[in-house]
Amino acid sequence: MSGSEQQVATNSSSGKKNDSVQTVTKDKHSVSKRLQQELMSLMMSGEKGVSAFPDGDNLFKWIGTIQGPIGTVYEGLEYRLILDFPNGYPIVAPKVKFESSCFHPNVDENGNICLDILREKWSATYDVLSILLSVQSLLGDPNIASALNHHAADLWKNQSLFKKYLLDKYDKEVRNKKF
Amino acid sequence: MNEQTTQEFDFKDEMIDEKITAQQEAIENEIAREQKLISDLIKLDSLLDEYSLEDTIYRSKIIELSANFSLVRKTRGDGNCFFRAFGFRYFEAIMGKPDEVKRLKDLANKICTDLNQLGYNSFTVDDFKDVFVEELERLADKSDVKLLEEIFNNPGSSDYIVVFLRLIVSAYLQKNADFFLAFIETYQSMKEFCSHEVEPMYKESDHIHIIALTNALNVSVGIIYLDRTDQTEATPHNFPEDSNPNIFILYRPGHYDIIYKN
Repeated sequence: MSGSEQQVATNSSSGKKNDSVQTVTKDKHSVSKRLQQELMSLMMSGEKGVSAFPDGDNLFKWIGTIQGPIGTVYEGLEYRLILDFPNGYPIVAPKVKFESSCFHPNVDENGNICLDILREKWSATYDVLSILLSVQSLLGDPNIASALNHHAADLWKNQSLFKKYLLDKYDKEVRNKKF
Repeated sequence: MNEQTTQEFDFKDEMIDEKITAQQEAIENEIAREQKLISDLIKLDSLLDEYSLEDTIYRSKIIELSANFSLVRKTRGDGNCFFRAFGFRYFEAIMGKPDEVKRLKDLANKICTDLNQLGYNSFTVDDFKDVFVEELERLADKSDVKLLEEIFNNPGSSDYIVVFLRLIVSAYLQKNADFFLAFIETYQSMKEFCSHEVEPMYKESDHIHIIALTNALNVSVGIIYLDRTDQTEATPHNFPEDSNPNIFILYRPGHYDIIYKN
């Protein structure tokens, strides 16, 4: 708490120059604490299809892995995600992107994801596990109406064609890069 | 600050969506610079400046209102205004009253137990409750408006208090889902309603939020509705209906501010 109290002390007359400091929602220490708790809980959760871990020593950047949901065209495929936690987390949503190339109606060519809970529907009660599970479920259940990849959205109607294209692309762009 | 904002727009290959987000952030930063989360006390009359002379409905309602109310605190229009206005005014009403503070603290702990039972992870809930209780306890033994203003204008504490108030509403609605389900036509379940309409920051509040919050905390609040309907008086509405509140919130379409009775 002491960090945020100090911010207030310099700020009582609401000087303009302090606004950039003010957007930092919570001091870094409590965000670290929260992320450590998330890591513990994620490791204890025993979820099989998803995982995530900090990238080296940086607790504010995690690498996540999700397995394509069983019974969907993505079954058997594995994707990597990057999760960037801002200082304002969890009031502010983390930035989540596919690191692996992912052919999907709601993922653009840079790996950006269109998912409401990462945007206007974000709530501070979500955690890394709920994010990973939401992205995983988005794979098999895309929102065609708000597509970022229109080719994928058009192809989605024909699941066997989609699967063929998806697997070709995955072999070229993801599997080959792994080794 | 401005240079920074321009730089944010200078993406080369980012998607348009990201640009829109950056633009929204720039607008939000602009609002943040112009309007404190909770303003200093201002005279009710000064609201007249917001309306043109021809706007007789609003002007006459404000003048009529000034017979009983004299001061206002404006809140930032960020979608959290009801929660922030209520939180500030409620803390103000109970500061310096250790028994009331104790009651609210016990209630906050009980609500956390409820949330755990509803399936919320402790670590996603407790940080907000802890800040809520810590800040409240700083005011337990003294009526310190300056400190209260600091707490509610520092996003680090203010936003955490807002989140916890949202969680109080969510817990109450989910626990009493049988009763409230009838009011949320477009959602399948109360859980879904809460995760879309209650828990996300910046999501605006409606009647159902106010009813849930005042019931959950057993606090009486009067909302003064100031709108363009063709009647001479601003309409007060008490929550619960038969109560006699000393906490008042001024509602103008889409926004809540704090208002003080004489």
